[in-house]
Amino acid sequence: MFPIQVLATILLPFAAAFEFFHNPVDGPNALPILTCFILIPNLAAFLIMATPANWTKWISLFAASLELGLAFRVFTLYQISAGGFQLVEQVPWLNNLGIQYLLGVDGMSTLMVVLVACVYFAGSLISWNVTMRTKEYFVLFSLLVGGVAGAYTSLDLFFFFLFYEFAVLPMYLLVGIWGSGRKEYAAMKLTLMLLAGSAFMLVGFLAMYFSSSVHTFDIRILGNLSQTNFTPEFQNFWFPLLFLGFGVIAAVFPFHTWSPDGYGSAPTAASMLHAGVLKSLGGYSIIRVALPALPQGARHWLPILVFLTIVNILYAAIVALKQKDFKYVIAYSSVSHCGAILFGICTLQVAGLNGAVIQTLSHGIVAAMTFALVGLVYGKAHTRELAKLGGLGAAMPVLGGLFVAAAMANVGLPGLSGFVGEFLIFLGSYRSGFHGGFNIFQVLFPTAILAIVLTAIYYLRLVQIVFYGPVKDPHIKEEAKDGSFIEILPIAFLLVVSLAVGLYPKPFVDLSNATIAPLIDQIGGFK
Amino acid sequence: MLVLVVDLFRGPAAGKGPLQWLAALGTLGALVSLSCLNGTCLFSACTVSEPVQSFAGFLKTDSLALFFKMVILLATLLTLLMAVRYFKTHNTYTAEFLAILLFSAAGASALTSAQEIITLYISLETLTISSYLLASFMKKDKGSNEAGMKYLLLGAFSSALLLLGFSYLYGLTGTTVIADVAKSLASQPVSPLLVLSVILIIAGLAFKISLAPFHMWTPDVYEGAPTPVTAFLSVASKTAGFAAFVRLFWVGLSAPSVLPVWMGLFAVLSAMSIVLGNLEALPQRNIKRMMAYSSIAQAGYISTGFLAGGKLGLTAVLFYTFVYLFANLGAFLAIVIVSGKTGSDQIEDYAGMWKRSPLIGVALLVCLLSLAGVPPFAGFSGKWYLFGAAVHMGYTWLALVGMVFSVVSLYYYLQVVRQALVSDAKDPSPIEMNLLEKGVLLICVIFTVTLGFWPRPIMDVAQAAATSLFN
Repeated sequence: MFPIQVLATILLPFAAAFEFFHNPVDGPNALPILTCFILIPNLAAFLIMATPANWTKWISLFAASLELGLAFRVFTLYQISAGGFQLVEQVPWLNNLGIQYLLGVDGMSTLMVVLVACVYFAGSLISWNVTMRTKEYFVLFSLLVGGVAGAYTSLDLFFFFLFYEFAVLPMYLLVGIWGSGRKEYAAMKLTLMLLAGSAFMLVGFLAMYFSSSVHTFDIRILGNLSQTNFTPEFQNFWFPLLFLGFGVIAAVFPFHTWSPDGYGSAPTAASMLHAGVLKSLGGYSIIRVALPALPQGARHWLPILVFLTIVNILYAAIVALKQKDFKYVIAYSSVSHCGAILFGICTLQVAGLNGAVIQTLSHGIVAAMTFALVGLVYGKAHTRELAKLGGLGAAMPVLGGLFVAAAMANVGLPGLSGFVGEFLIFLGSYRSGFHGGFNIFQVLFPTAILAIVLTAIYYLRLVQIVFYGPVKDPHIKEEAKDGSFIEILPIAFLLVVSLAVGLYPKPFVDLSNATIAPLIDQIGGFK
Repeated sequence: MLVLVVDLFRGPAAGKGPLQWLAALGTLGALVSLSCLNGTCLFSACTVSEPVQSFAGFLKTDSLALFFKMVILLATLLTLLMAVRYFKTHNTYTAEFLAILLFSAAGASALTSAQEIITLYISLETLTISSYLLASFMKKDKGSNEAGMKYLLLGAFSSALLLLGFSYLYGLTGTTVIADVAKSLASQPVSPLLVLSVILIIAGLAFKISLAPFHMWTPDVYEGAPTPVTAFLSVASKTAGFAAFVRLFWVGLSAPSVLPVWMGLFAVLSAMSIVLGNLEALPQRNIKRMMAYSSIAQAGYISTGFLAGGKLGLTAVLFYTFVYLFANLGAFLAIVIVSGKTGSDQIEDYAGMWKRSPLIGVALLVCLLSLAGVPPFAGFSGKWYLFGAAVHMGYTWLALVGMVFSVVSLYYYLQVVRQALVSDAKDPSPIEMNLLEKGVLLICVIFTVTLGFWPRPIMDVAQAAATSLFN
């Protein structure tokens, strides 16, 4: 009975949302699909506040399924042949300051929209068994999604920043109240570091606004202004500040220290959402804002900034090997994969940037899946220490099998999404054309490939220790049960998405290319 | 203005209950009269074509003055509400308090319309002397006496400096009407005496807005004074101080030759306030002291916009003042309510608000984070405009300082939020509030959230007010 209830709550709104927005939306009778995309989680938050506690989870699931339907509809509505920004909604907000309420998606944003919806859906399901202060938990979780949904669809820098920061506060409360371990310390560190990064972003945005002759915060216009409005000195000054400002949320070295503690202490759904969706905002923002507006600065600085990303990839992987806490391994692995994304961006090459986008999508799905699994194991075994966990495969065969799949996805096994992203990134680095003769990237990419080997080592080590191997604590083995329907559903869903991207990447790469190819042409990147 | 003066005489009469309502009615009446005063509606943002003048043009109520008056009177209303709650638990004579509070408000309101230096000084003193009395109101409380004494001594000294500066200015220009001062200075070369007088004026007035390094009185006075008075000082008094600054500096000392005299100095003072205010707030354990240091930093942020000047800067200052009003007073109302129940002003006694009174928990969250400048609250929009104005005028370094230290400030604001929403209560008894208090807290929260997303209504009014000075 319960599984049927759950499936009904998922499929009905999904189908409804998908069908309702069936007609194409540009034009006078347009339905504001993107505004709905942002509003649904926020309205869900208000609805949850106002209704009795036993409705909370169902409302959240309902909203998440609606969101998923909308996202898939956006995915089908975007026309790659037309390119550019579609489904645009524009409302003047504060004209004298150049601020408008401006939403729109291009190829890359469409992929991100799908990512947000998938992780929101999975997170709602994973949080099913939260018992302490349930209402507040789901309110904060929904607000978190609402914020990030706005960030991915905003084309006006003011609203982009507003939604970007919107998500920081619920995260503080989620980690501080429902977290584990050193949760208050982790929450404070996370919040302060993310806001510090955004301080630089903010001043950069203001500088761009006031330096351009066209006073506007419209990203589309700012992207086209670079040649005429931003002097090379301006670009060379502001590009690294913006890159690092965005990089803080992408956990670029040396500003990555919030990530292990933050994810390690956060409750499961919060880690899933943050690692999957919020972290990806870093790479996304660089491609969306920093590259088009400041290409001169990019060409000047990226060959230097790439070394930070390499440190990310290798250093985080090596540190992951030594971790004693299950969740911290995954947290460091997330830092390492985000390093790969940033590395792809630094190549400034078509394949590399496409790889970065696909890897963003893939990392989002796979990290969410992995954190979900870790959360479930923690919930059942009540410990995250690798020294105590062992031989759980017998007690939880399904979860064990899913974890192996997740491990393979992280490593980048062909057939799963990680391979597509990583392959394109490495291809991009080989073909990148910096500095003519001596190509730094051709030297660097073998070191990045080394990271794959390291990833394989620490993941297989995890699988071996936790699921195979001798039972270290018989108490745990007796009590731990396998995942229930409601727990396995989100993980299976994410796995299916990852398989879809991995086995048939063409629609996804085409969407990504719809953004990247014109961008490379515009900023003079490498083909 | 006239209506306000009439209301004052309602204050000193016998009886407590009806008094409070009289006082509130009086302030409300003054607010309403604001909108009727020139036949223009403040909220539809029309500019005033014929400003009403009184006292031979020494007091002129243009849109700028109207905006500031609105802020001051709203602050007074909210302070009255807090005072009602505060005196319920503290049992002292309220009649004099209300009268003196209204005198303060009258002084502050007059200050905003002052067009002439002596009038400005008189209204400033009315405001300040009433504030000394208010700060030391709790006669039996050592803290209150100390607060009043410190405030009096430092205030009197600053007044003297201010007057000296004014006298030099008069000596240089031969007139006390601010607009004429500007004309006279424009035709003179900049003399060392002018520089001296400007420095003295800044020193005297910076005391009022607690700009570093003239801020030393703030923590002690805020901590010792009765909490409603602290709230009033932090908003109304500061707003009046900024109104005085705007009139004097952007009208009187705005000649191109004179600008370099004070702009650089002011930039340094702003930066110092932001840095010192935020850093010194970090270790605070007493919430009123923390709010005092926070208000020093807030004065620094507002000064950044003030420094930028022009329509953009002034609009930003006005908008932020409005936002600051609701955020600060919302927080102080919550503080009054909580300390009424717990008898303590320590931050750790705010633990567990999410259980004891969710409304207070949310109100503290919204108001304090608005002060920190976190989206989506109004403080963020306010800071966006303030720092935008600063960048536009070439003070990018100041904007960066402001932003970085806003992040620092988040740490100490989050301490309160953490106690209120994350920690478990030591004493889980609920905190009751009457309907009016709940309503007002809710209004503060709603304003703070809405203005973050939809700042347009107030922005338009602020812009209209700024235009009257800078068109």
